[in-house]
Amino acid sequence: MTNEEIIEKIRTTLAEEFEVDIELIQPEALLMQTLELDSLDLVDMVVLVEQNFGFNITGQDFTEIKTFQDFYDLVIVRMKEKEAK
Amino acid sequence: MSTWKGKTRGGAFGYLFFIYLIRYLGINTAYTFLSLIILYFIPFAPKATANIWFYARHILNYSRTRAIRMLLCNYYRLGQILIDKVAIGSGLVDKYHFQFEHYPEFLNVLNSDQGVIMIGAHVGNWEIGAPFFDEYGKKINIVMYDAEHQKIKKMLEESSATKDYKVIPVNEDNLTHVFQITEALQKKEYVCFQGDRYLNKEKLLTCSFLGKQASFPIGPFLLASRMNVPVVFYFAMREKKRTYRFHFVLAEKVIRSKEKKAEQALLEQYVNALEEIVKQYPEQWFNYYSFWKAPKNNKQAEKQSSN
Repeated sequence: MTNEEIIEKIRTTLAEEFEVDIELIQPEALLMQTLELDSLDLVDMVVLVEQNFGFNITGQDFTEIKTFQDFYDLVIVRMKEKEAK
Repeated sequence: MSTWKGKTRGGAFGYLFFIYLIRYLGINTAYTFLSLIILYFIPFAPKATANIWFYARHILNYSRTRAIRMLLCNYYRLGQILIDKVAIGSGLVDKYHFQFEHYPEFLNVLNSDQGVIMIGAHVGNWEIGAPFFDEYGKKINIVMYDAEHQKIKKMLEESSATKDYKVIPVNEDNLTHVFQITEALQKKEYVCFQGDRYLNKEKLLTCSFLGKQASFPIGPFLLASRMNVPVVFYFAMREKKRTYRFHFVLAEKVIRSKEKKAEQALLEQYVNALEEIVKQYPEQWFNYYSFWKAPKNNKQAEKQSSN
């Protein structure tokens, strides 16, 4: 999967799961605020990442995520690491 | 209306007093002293008394005479359970007897090489079970509100006692607990919740409990329904002759459907299990607030009940 394909998959998955307009999911937009995430939604986020991208997101990972671009970068790095194994 | 405020009644002084009473005069003396204390609690804990009275009269439909007896029994049992907790924590475990229901099935779940979610309630004495999990105890994580956690921590420090489990403190202003829970499950550990109390009135599920609508926290049920791990309902109930009986109920797997959300289906299983326990041990219901009144501004609960 190319980086562009991964990003598109992230956008469609997040838009569908959190019921937001996909056009709001832009690289510089703030992830928590755009998706209106609370503690319960974070559980869905953890499950969504595990089911769709095959890795477990940790609290440490999440402290470094502010924008959607940060999230794309994390998913891409983790998926590349997984492929390399 | 009054809901649970995230703190449990009773100060560190009270706990320490009983620790010394048990150490120097024995468990039975502590029970005798307790009989005097419950007479104090009836007038001086009016909200708690009113809520147990409501529970006895309007939920259990007891007569006035039976309700008075229930009130006395309820306070006595609560005190007795706190004394037992202190006594067992101080090493007097051989003074007690323990019986287990469905224990082999429960051990199979614990040994199944995956995380487990356990959901209890403020009935009986959930904490009494920790020493019996032995090596499993190191893998137990108890999720509790931060205010309650700080109080228990202070009490343990003052009494030099130790706890056999880890605590995941929940603070509404900080979301790290979500990751602590999911990481514990990913490490194949056990995560324990109390499924009957809530702080956030916006995040509730509602369900008929003992014949009347009641609100429950959405968090434990949502997590348990999403994480794809076994779910066990766990209750440790006090019986006569210093005996505790542990009840384990393995929840059936729930699936999200158009008619009913998975968390609601899991809550209904939990409520069925809890109803059975409360019917069997009515005097061990320890929620001293208006449990059966629907809170105001409860959009989430309204949404759930209309589904």
